[in-house]
Amino acid sequence: MAYSDKVVDHYNNPRNVGSFTKDTPGVGTGLVGAPECGDVMKLQIKVNLDTGVIEDAKFKTFGCGSAIASSSLATEWLKGKTVDEAAKIKNTDIVNELKLPPVKIHCSVLAEDAIKAALADYRDKNASAVAPASSK
Amino acid sequence: MDHFEVFGLPRRLGIDTAELQRKFYELSRRGHPDFHQAAPPERQAEILEASARLNAAYRALRDPLARIEYLVRLEEGRDTREGATVKPKAPPELLEEMFEIQEALQEAKSAGQSVGLDAGAKRTLSAQRDRLRARYEQEEARLRGPLSQAWDAAGPADRAGALTAFKEALAVRAYLRTVIDDIDEALGESEEGHVSHRRH
Repeated sequence: MAYSDKVVDHYNNPRNVGSFTKDTPGVGTGLVGAPECGDVMKLQIKVNLDTGVIEDAKFKTFGCGSAIASSSLATEWLKGKTVDEAAKIKNTDIVNELKLPPVKIHCSVLAEDAIKAALADYRDKNASAVAPASSK
Repeated sequence: MDHFEVFGLPRRLGIDTAELQRKFYELSRRGHPDFHQAAPPERQAEILEASARLNAAYRALRDPLARIEYLVRLEEGRDTREGATVKPKAPPELLEEMFEIQEALQEAKSAGQSVGLDAGAKRTLSAQRDRLRARYEQEEARLRGPLSQAWDAAGPADRAGALTAFKEALAVRAYLRTVIDDIDEALGESEEGHVSHRRH
C-alpha cells in the first residue's frame, strides 16, 4: 500500500495525540469505530466557553496509518475554529488533503464521524449554557 | 446468478454441508474444463467461467460464517439500491471497552519497549486475551446458531431486523478479532522490542 507523503508524515509525527478529562467543562468527546477493520478512534475538543472557539483538540486512534493521519489532520483543522465552523468539515476535505485512495475513504468517514460525535457531546453537555455570540 | 442460485438453493442459512459438498463435486465433474476440450472456444470460455463461479459459490457457502457474511453483502446490495442501508453500530460500551484495552496494551508495550513485556504483564495480557477469545467464540456461536435460525424463520417483515442483528454481531466479532490479534502480536513479538503494524 503506497501512502501519500502527508499520510506518512502524520503517521510518523501524529499531532495532538492525547486526551482531556472527559468531564472538564468545554470538553466534547467522540468515540467511534469502524467495524470493517476494528479500528477505534477517540477525538476530543476543548471549547472556550466564552467565545465558542475550539482552543485545543486531541485524538487517540488505534488503527491503520490512514485512520491515524485522518484524525491527526482533523485535530489540526479543528483548532481555532468555532463549533459551527467545525461542523462543516467533511470527510472529502480529508480525502483531498491526504490523497487517500478509495479503499481508505472509510478512514476519513470515521474522522468526520468522530468530529460530529465530539461536537454533539459538547453541545449536549452545554445545552443549558447560553450560546456564545457568533465570533467571526 | 448469486451463490445460492448456483446450487439451486433458497437464500437460507440452514445448509447441509455434506449435501452441499456432494452437489459441488457433482457440478464440478460435469462442468470440468478438461472434459470439454473439444468444444468451440466460446463454449470453453463459458465453461471456464461457470467453473470459476461454482468454486466461488462453494467457498462462500461451505463455511457457516462466510455464508452469513455473504448473505449480508447480498442483501445489502439490494438495500443499497433502495437507499435503505444503515451502517451497523456496535454497542457504545463495547467501543469504550475496546478503546481501553488498546490503550492499556499500548502502555504495556511502551513500558516494555527496550526490555520486552515482563512476566506479569504477559500473564495479564494472555488472561485478557483468553477471555476475549471466549467472547469471540460465543459471538460466532450466536451467529451460526440462533441468529441464523432467526433469519431462516423470518417472514418478509422480520428480515430487516434479522439482518441488523447479523451486522451488529459481525461488528462485535470484528472488534474482538482486532484486539485479540493486537494482543497476540504484542505477546509474540514483544521480545524483539519491535512490533510491526499488522494493519496497513
